[in-house]
Amino acid sequence: MARGAVAEGLIRPFEAEYEDYVRDESRSRGHAESISFPTSEEEVREVLRALAPEAAPVTVQGARTGLAAGAVPAGGHVMNLSRMNRYLGLRQDEEGRFYLRVQPGVVLLDLRRHLAARDIPANGWDDASLRALEALSAAPLQMFPTDPTETSACLGGMAACNASGARSFRYGPMRGHVSALRLVLADGDVLALRRGEARARGRALALTTEGGRALAIDLPTYEMPVCKNASGYYAADDMDALDLIIGSDGTLGIITEIELALMPAPAVTWAVSCFLTDERQVLDATCLLRRSLAHASALEYFDEAALRILRAQRAAGAAFASLVEPPAGARACLYVELACDTEDEAMADLARVGAALEEVGASERATWVARTDVDREALTFFRHAVPESVNMLIDERRRTDPSVTKLGSDMAVPDERLHDVVALYRTTLAEAGLEAAAWGHIGNNHLHVNVLPRDASDYAAGKRLFARWAREVAAMGGAVSAEHGVGKLKRDFLQEMYGRRALVEMARVKQVFDPQGQLGRGNLFDEALLADVPAAPGARAGAAAGKGGA
Amino acid sequence: MHIVVCVKAVPGSTEVKMDPKTHTIVRDGGAAVVNPFDATALELALRLRDARVAAGEPSRVSALSMGIPATEALLRDCMARGADEALLLSDRAFAGADTLATTYALTCGIARLAKGAGEPALVLCGKMAVDGDTAQIGPELAGALGAACATDVREILACDAHAVLVRAAVDGGMAELELPLPAVLTVAKEAAQLRMPSIAGVRAAAAAPVPVATAQAVGADTARIGLAGSPTQVVRSFVPEQRSRAVPVVGTPAEQAARLVQIIAEVS
Repeated sequence: MARGAVAEGLIRPFEAEYEDYVRDESRSRGHAESISFPTSEEEVREVLRALAPEAAPVTVQGARTGLAAGAVPAGGHVMNLSRMNRYLGLRQDEEGRFYLRVQPGVVLLDLRRHLAARDIPANGWDDASLRALEALSAAPLQMFPTDPTETSACLGGMAACNASGARSFRYGPMRGHVSALRLVLADGDVLALRRGEARARGRALALTTEGGRALAIDLPTYEMPVCKNASGYYAADDMDALDLIIGSDGTLGIITEIELALMPAPAVTWAVSCFLTDERQVLDATCLLRRSLAHASALEYFDEAALRILRAQRAAGAAFASLVEPPAGARACLYVELACDTEDEAMADLARVGAALEEVGASERATWVARTDVDREALTFFRHAVPESVNMLIDERRRTDPSVTKLGSDMAVPDERLHDVVALYRTTLAEAGLEAAAWGHIGNNHLHVNVLPRDASDYAAGKRLFARWAREVAAMGGAVSAEHGVGKLKRDFLQEMYGRRALVEMARVKQVFDPQGQLGRGNLFDEALLADVPAAPGARAGAAAGKGGA
Repeated sequence: MHIVVCVKAVPGSTEVKMDPKTHTIVRDGGAAVVNPFDATALELALRLRDARVAAGEPSRVSALSMGIPATEALLRDCMARGADEALLLSDRAFAGADTLATTYALTCGIARLAKGAGEPALVLCGKMAVDGDTAQIGPELAGALGAACATDVREILACDAHAVLVRAAVDGGMAELELPLPAVLTVAKEAAQLRMPSIAGVRAAAAAPVPVATAQAVGADTARIGLAGSPTQVVRSFVPEQRSRAVPVVGTPAEQAARLVQIIAEVS
């Protein structure tokens, strides 16, 4: 094996000090033989060129905040991009929109702070970028709208799983806010994609790498669900090539540069927590508000069990003692966020929220309206405290039974199936006698139902229930993963959703990009399936030509 | 029971701009918020009112401020959160006031509010404002009104028609103080968290009147208000020099420990 001198320094044996890098927020563990922390695209290419001859598996990582174990290595090499965290440049188009180029390791929280303070680190930027930066400081405040709750996520990971979060109700997932990408392929070659420049003809996509390798891709033939979806490769007639990469879970290449399409921040953001007395009211109010609100950016729900756990943790003091106490008698909370240009617009929508609450039998008096920073922070703290307090409960249970862990669902259905899917969750949880707390993005019919196992048998029953939900959600035209991505934990559900034929079609796409199956091993596909899939005609030939040219 | 809460508009951020000529704080109305200590005072007032009303005694909370016209929005927010009425003292003649002139203007406002809702039994203020930091208005108000005063109040323990019992910070610890009414209380931030308004509250406050009164309208003596009525003269304002500095302690652990012992001996 002949590794270049540069790669030699970059690739380190996987020693005990790197133990953290076999885990992510999903709390699953993997294993690896080596690790690298590249700081530039050139270093990424160097490492991949060194690993290609031995066909070593490569798992790419960012901030390791994922919940589907996509960043957990299945042997081989871990490529951690957290040190690729520079801001590369800025441009403004003719319509005045700003586009910010970042490395994949830039952390969302830092990006937000820099945008809010109009203070983006511009070391080494060219004159054109610096001119755009001047224009940015004179322009209305800009934002990047994708808002997964975990703000320590990095942009590369968010693109790899097509992150969304609460505000995707208004702004859609990350996909719509990425205008260009650079992707290093397993052999070290580079694909540069810009939105609008490379589109499929029907389901056939032809791309050329910077090294001159031609990629002929037969896109999968399935129809994607008409709802929030982060399950498997994006595939649609005449689609943009960029959309295939976004949400591909680190299986096609390594994203080394992302151009983010920024947008003006709303001048007025108001948030309302509405307290209701039963779940039916929440579902009915959601349907009303989806139709009536002109400026909603988020519609979120916290169920009775979630509020009960929150109350208990609040009473126990410590971290949540300063939390505002939910009103007595509240058995459900619906959170509505309004992003408006003027206070008059916000006021009109606020009145609509009040009217909807009264219509479903709740009260506009049992609400908290946040119009100041202090109040908005109180509501944000409240929302973030819900999953945190559930995690604390699970941690307590793990002390007596270490096999216990939280099981969180991430499924979405089309609008008209909201009542059906919630009925499915409630009846099957009751039948199985399982404890659960649900919260999440009800505006997108996307709830995280969290089974809270008391012991190993609860855990097993929960897993069986999730498999059943995957089948039934797929039958409703829904998605088995709406925002976390499939990673390793949900790949069986992917087969439930699309069937084996679709997985084979996806595997063929992967073969074109990554003929040796090195990247993101275990993500989307199990090893057996990848081994079974015969090479698509042209994939191998293309790869061979590419190696010569790279 | 009538309770008056004095609220001040302060900058939303900690960046306070000073006027280099007048040495007073520049208030341009951009992103102002209710002084956080005053927000706590409002919450204590609302709780007390709610308790009195529940006990069958008609009670009202009035929010009072002296400020630029944009302060009306903050008073409306106080009403959205539960204040029954509000009064804004706004007039160029009030501008440039020190704490004495401000106190006098506020007493004129309190007299105006008393005409509608009766003499206040309690006047609540934040213990200080986050911009001026003087902590003088509350005690000065008590002096001007001839009322009892407790500062840095952490909790209102009991209140009836004649007296209020509070827990307040005093030199060396906490004390329970009983004050005859009328009384002025200044409150600490940790005493309570101001409730959020409901949709119903926001809607009602949007339609409610917030009277704006000039100096003349409240019968203020023009010699006692604004810059003219302010004996305090700010001669100079400046950013204080940083006096403390960090000293790196280097060397082996033993050398560092020895140096630390030496430093501690030097400063103590």
